[in-house]
Amino acid sequence: MGEKVLEIKNLTKHYGKHRGVEDVSFSVKEGDIFGFLGPNGAGKSTTIRSILGFLKYEGSISVFGMDARYEHEKILKDVGYMPSEAMFYPAMKVRDVVKLAADIRGLDCSEEAGMLFERLKVDTGRRINELSLGNRKKVSIVCAMQHKPKLFIFDEPTSGLDPLMQNTFFELIEEYVTGGATCLLSTHVLPEVKKYCKNVAIMREGHLVGTGSVAELMHTNSKRVAAVIDGRREEYLYSGDMNSLIEKLSHGDVSELTVTDPSIDEIFMGYYSEQGN
Amino acid sequence: MLTLLKHELKQEYKSLIIWSLSVGGIGLLCICLFTAMTDDMASLSESFSNMGAFSDAFGMSTLGIGTIAGFFATEVGTVHSLGSAMYAAITATLILSKEEDGHTGEFLYSLPVSRFKAVTAKLISLLITITMFTVITGILYAIGFCVIDEAPDTGLFVRFMLSQALMDVEIMLICTAFSAFQKKNMLGAGLGMSLVLYAFDLMGRVIPDLKDALFIGPFSYSNASEIFAEKDIAGSAYVFGIAVMVGAVILTYAKYMKKDLAS
Repeated sequence: MGEKVLEIKNLTKHYGKHRGVEDVSFSVKEGDIFGFLGPNGAGKSTTIRSILGFLKYEGSISVFGMDARYEHEKILKDVGYMPSEAMFYPAMKVRDVVKLAADIRGLDCSEEAGMLFERLKVDTGRRINELSLGNRKKVSIVCAMQHKPKLFIFDEPTSGLDPLMQNTFFELIEEYVTGGATCLLSTHVLPEVKKYCKNVAIMREGHLVGTGSVAELMHTNSKRVAAVIDGRREEYLYSGDMNSLIEKLSHGDVSELTVTDPSIDEIFMGYYSEQGN
Repeated sequence: MLTLLKHELKQEYKSLIIWSLSVGGIGLLCICLFTAMTDDMASLSESFSNMGAFSDAFGMSTLGIGTIAGFFATEVGTVHSLGSAMYAAITATLILSKEEDGHTGEFLYSLPVSRFKAVTAKLISLLITITMFTVITGILYAIGFCVIDEAPDTGLFVRFMLSQALMDVEIMLICTAFSAFQKKNMLGAGLGMSLVLYAFDLMGRVIPDLKDALFIGPFSYSNASEIFAEKDIAGSAYVFGIAVMVGAVILTYAKYMKKDLAS
């Protein structure tokens, strides 16, 4: 993997007395699809909005080696952002919104936009106020991708998209990433993370609680134990010495026993919850 | 920035057409009614000019409404002052806050455009719409003068329209600064602001103690009756108006460049 495309150091943001994020540091390397995880209110959107220059913050954010605080106009030329809400000017037609985005960038993106319209099955003649959330999301995807940016930032991109479109969306991401782009993917959908992301950062209550490769974070000493002991079914996560587990189980009449790795959901829920430490 | 300016103008043109045709149309209608009302006006003119402070407030003590200049100043002048001030206030109050209120800021500001350029484009679009409003209403009033074949002094008419445009720009800049502080559209507040400024001017002309403070409001240098009666307008009104405009522009940039954008 290449150089750092995005580097966040000690990012802190408070909204008056309310916590936004505190002392968040992580980096995303070129060519990565980087998962950004955390429950609602964990600070993912605050971090993303800081990267994009929407918020004033403490700490430093560097994108393509440039300071996001002072050079954000230059940085945004090579960034494609898809917000979670995907809102546009309601009276405008889809094609006009997409053209407006390209025109502000000073680019003719009609060819790429045409390809994206086709693959995402976007009706370009409709007005924004006639579109469902899913269709607005598709417009947002086109706006984020049509200029072939070096860095994608997606905030909950698949909510509202049907499974077929979700597949198309990830196919597109993989194609752009293969072509040299990098992707920061904020999501709640853990199977997406397992399937597409190489590295992740996990947020909880404004703090970074874990960062590394998916494989590293998935690596755990915990095992899911499911057993029928003395006719009673028991299921739990066990982390400790296996001999002790066998010793403990031997006191009862074990009629069924399975010991498996915990699911990605269970592992990440551990990070999400208070007890996750 | 040109793209953003075009985008803003496209967003504003329907409102511009509706407001300019409404205000200009009412003015045109009033002008067309002047000839039909001339006989009644002659008798009313004297009564109106003897209503004490209210005659002063509406300028009827200095201009007879039996003449086209007096009629235009007191009737159309009032409609134009209020209408244009309300239009300027409404448009400017929403110009910045609408991006956050409509959640379109995330789209706009994720594109490579600085907030400085965005504010500049929006301010220029407001200036263009106010200019267009003044031109369209002016043309409609001129059509009215052609229809009745009677017109006030052209120089005074042009001076009145330019003074009104300057007043609209002052209200617009005050409301834009107000908009920079808002995360939600505060249409009522902007509209209220223009009406309060109008009421202040009216009261200043009725209440003698307030007369010295009249120059604070933008309506002071754009009063139709004073312009058509060729009265001298206090220079302090222009100086104060320009100071308010410069202050409002500085405040708008200072606030909007620093603020956290609502999601």
